[in-house]
Amino acid sequence: MRPLDLTEKEPSRKVTVYFEGKAYEAYEGEKITVALLANGIYWLTTSTEGRKRGAFTFGPVPMVVNGTRNVNARKTKVRDGMRLERQGYGDFQETVEIDEGKPVERLVVDVAVIGGGPAGIGTVLKVQDHLTVALVEEKGWLGGDLWLKGLPQKGFGEKSPQEVVRELTGKFNENVSVFKGTIALGVFDKGEYFLVPIVTGENQLIEIMAKRVVLAVGAVDNIHLFENNDMPGVFRRSDLLEVLNVWGVAPGRKVAVVGSKPEEITAELDRWSIEYIVVPNPKRVEGDEKVERLIDTNGNVYEVDAVIMAEGRRPDINPPTQAGGKLVFKHGYYTPVLDSQHRIRDGIYVAGSAVSIKPHYANYLEGRLVGAYILREFGFDAEPCIHAERLKEYEPEAVQVQSIDFGSLNLEDVQICGCDVSLRKVDDVVRSGITDLQIIKRLTHLAMGFCQGRFCLFNGAVVVSQRTGTPMDRLDIPVARPPLKNVRMKVTAGRD
Amino acid sequence: MPSKELPERSEIVIIGGGIIGVTIAHELAKRGEEVTVIEKRFIGSGSTFRCGTGIRQQFNDESNVQVMKRSVELWKKYSEEYGFSFEQTGYLFLLYDDDEVEEFKRNIAIQNRFGVPTRLITPEEAKDIVPLLDISEVIAASWNPTDGKADPFHSTAKFALNAERFGAKLVEYTEVKDFLIENGEIKGLKTNRGVIRTGTVINATNAWAKLINAMAGIKTKIPIEPYKHQAVITQPIKKGSINPMVISFKYGHAYLTQTAHGGVVGGVGYELGPTYDLSPTYEFLREVSYYFTKIIPALRELLILRTWAGYYAKTPDSNAAIGKIEELSDYYIAAGFSGHGFMMAPAVAEMVADLVTKGRTDLPAAWYDPYRFERGELRTTAIQMG
Repeated sequence: MRPLDLTEKEPSRKVTVYFEGKAYEAYEGEKITVALLANGIYWLTTSTEGRKRGAFTFGPVPMVVNGTRNVNARKTKVRDGMRLERQGYGDFQETVEIDEGKPVERLVVDVAVIGGGPAGIGTVLKVQDHLTVALVEEKGWLGGDLWLKGLPQKGFGEKSPQEVVRELTGKFNENVSVFKGTIALGVFDKGEYFLVPIVTGENQLIEIMAKRVVLAVGAVDNIHLFENNDMPGVFRRSDLLEVLNVWGVAPGRKVAVVGSKPEEITAELDRWSIEYIVVPNPKRVEGDEKVERLIDTNGNVYEVDAVIMAEGRRPDINPPTQAGGKLVFKHGYYTPVLDSQHRIRDGIYVAGSAVSIKPHYANYLEGRLVGAYILREFGFDAEPCIHAERLKEYEPEAVQVQSIDFGSLNLEDVQICGCDVSLRKVDDVVRSGITDLQIIKRLTHLAMGFCQGRFCLFNGAVVVSQRTGTPMDRLDIPVARPPLKNVRMKVTAGRD
Repeated sequence: MPSKELPERSEIVIIGGGIIGVTIAHELAKRGEEVTVIEKRFIGSGSTFRCGTGIRQQFNDESNVQVMKRSVELWKKYSEEYGFSFEQTGYLFLLYDDDEVEEFKRNIAIQNRFGVPTRLITPEEAKDIVPLLDISEVIAASWNPTDGKADPFHSTAKFALNAERFGAKLVEYTEVKDFLIENGEIKGLKTNRGVIRTGTVINATNAWAKLINAMAGIKTKIPIEPYKHQAVITQPIKKGSINPMVISFKYGHAYLTQTAHGGVVGGVGYELGPTYDLSPTYEFLREVSYYFTKIIPALRELLILRTWAGYYAKTPDSNAAIGKIEELSDYYIAAGFSGHGFMMAPAVAEMVADLVTKGRTDLPAAWYDPYRFERGELRTTAIQMG
């Protein structure tokens, strides 16, 4: 077993990869980032301003793979003999293969569901008997955040989350086309239908034409603001759960859990008997190539080799705003404004944790509810009110907004965004009197990088709100623009 | 630049706080005039906010070449004085057939006549300037090393700051609702934050110029329509990878360059409208990817981070309307820049300030005569791109 393996891997799948010239054990099917973590390697790339970065918090992970620069290590699987090297953010491949690209495919369906978590699955199961559906999921698995959990979840009985997901998706019928490892570039209104261009793992562009669209796009982890929060060895909640429960790899031998919702993490760490300490008030992490210690605001020093941000999640507001939706601030987060049938506008529905933070089972119910609305629109018998009643049993959870300790933090070292935007940069602009997030974006580059603000825009709003006293609900949040997820230019360059 | 109280009166009021309005205010204030800019959102928030960075002197008529020659002198002067970045990294027009080469030879002759040092260069010379170029189909290029680029928002902010230093007032989040007119004379403007008394108004609202003209009751036909143009930005790459603005008429009227931050930015000719809608379209994403990767194949493997849209305020000959409107005293217009207003701003500011303070200017203002549309005297269509 490798230093951080939690489970024995299948020996027949064993391969060798070379990182910076040294041989390491890996297993077929593993992502590069996970294989390297299992071998105790955290530092994979260097930001434009020279900050060392790992794979499990914000920012991109470009690497040199077999001599090719700028390969996304998060999405690339290991192969035997693979040569891996670090690179900086700005390195790119100057000579490229030129081909005509793959011809664009088209698919016509009744409903396009973006997001394959419990909500998306719920919608599919509700409508599949009468309508054709395309289910688009960015990850390589269905089940979304539920799939990452190791412990049984409320509402689904005593079954393991993976069992629940397998059972539900096992019921999909021939009306359902499932696209895993697939990103959606946006939702475009064509009058007669909605165009949802998607890109599958093999760089295939498919134009889905759908009469209705469901945004079951989920929520994203909150980024906790402390010094060196971008350092290799810092994990977002969902990345931690993924390495543990999907890949059977530990984040480290001894870890610290920070943030307002440690209980979401500690139970999972207990399950794997990983030693941890809960530190509610982190100030700074330090280390040479990776996290070696955490220091809290009282000056206590904890020797750890990873830090987990357990700060809860907030709806991913990018897909709804790109599709033309408006936002409102409720329960500690921005959420799309919905009509009485869960629509941001005619034809576009939202369900699951994209609407509000609540248990997985409630998200599943909400997916079914939206499915029922759609069925009724198409003239089939459906009983949305039954689902609506059951959904009422689940109050949306409030998420605590971090109170930033501007006085004691070295703002220079706190990263608000993965693209070299420090809290200092944003705070300086806000304190100069500029409080419009549009201008802050332009002056600091906040929300203008790879994540389109998914992980930083909220904290940018928090800075404005806390520095000026303006309530969060009064701030004007910039809308997302296509593509919703980064796409290589060659994919959209193909001509029909 | 926090928003200020609306003054009770001001000698001159400029409607519109984009690069044009702000540079005019800067020029007037510097000359000692009392001037106020009224902007409905924040300074630089309209098309300036969405603009592509390019500054070029490679036009195809005498007037635009002269104006841009002056403008580049001013870009140089003010970027040094006020400390914003203006890089003279050149403009490179890629040419693919004999007709294009002939046309550019004519343009280059006009440019050279006014001291703009454009040259026709070989494909290999072009590749020396931008090593990433695919020159397999290029037969020549038009190259002027004194063209350049600047960040539209940063430069507007610096002009604004210095306009204020010279005494101009910049009022943000204030929208003009109507004109107060008595006997053909402007008495003031009604805004959502009260009335401002003034005798002289300059309409610098570009895409919204029509609306302001209507409020002023102008009968003269000045056709300015908003068109949706879009832009793209890629992931940041090593600085200095694409220094000049690279232009290809053959490939979709594409323009592209690298920003100071490192991303490759640009657009294509793809135009929608007239419309005030600004939602980016999927068709643009396809077009821009196809054309850009033809010009620079290495872009194939770069990630597209974002697209956005902005207005070209277009006139029928792609030249702005700049001048005094005689039917109302004293009303001026500087609008309809048709996609190349940012680069012209410092010279236009000088031109308008001359007209307002002296009634005449040494710059060739007649070319932009607002009455030319009504007279049916359209100009040679200006090169619109980048």
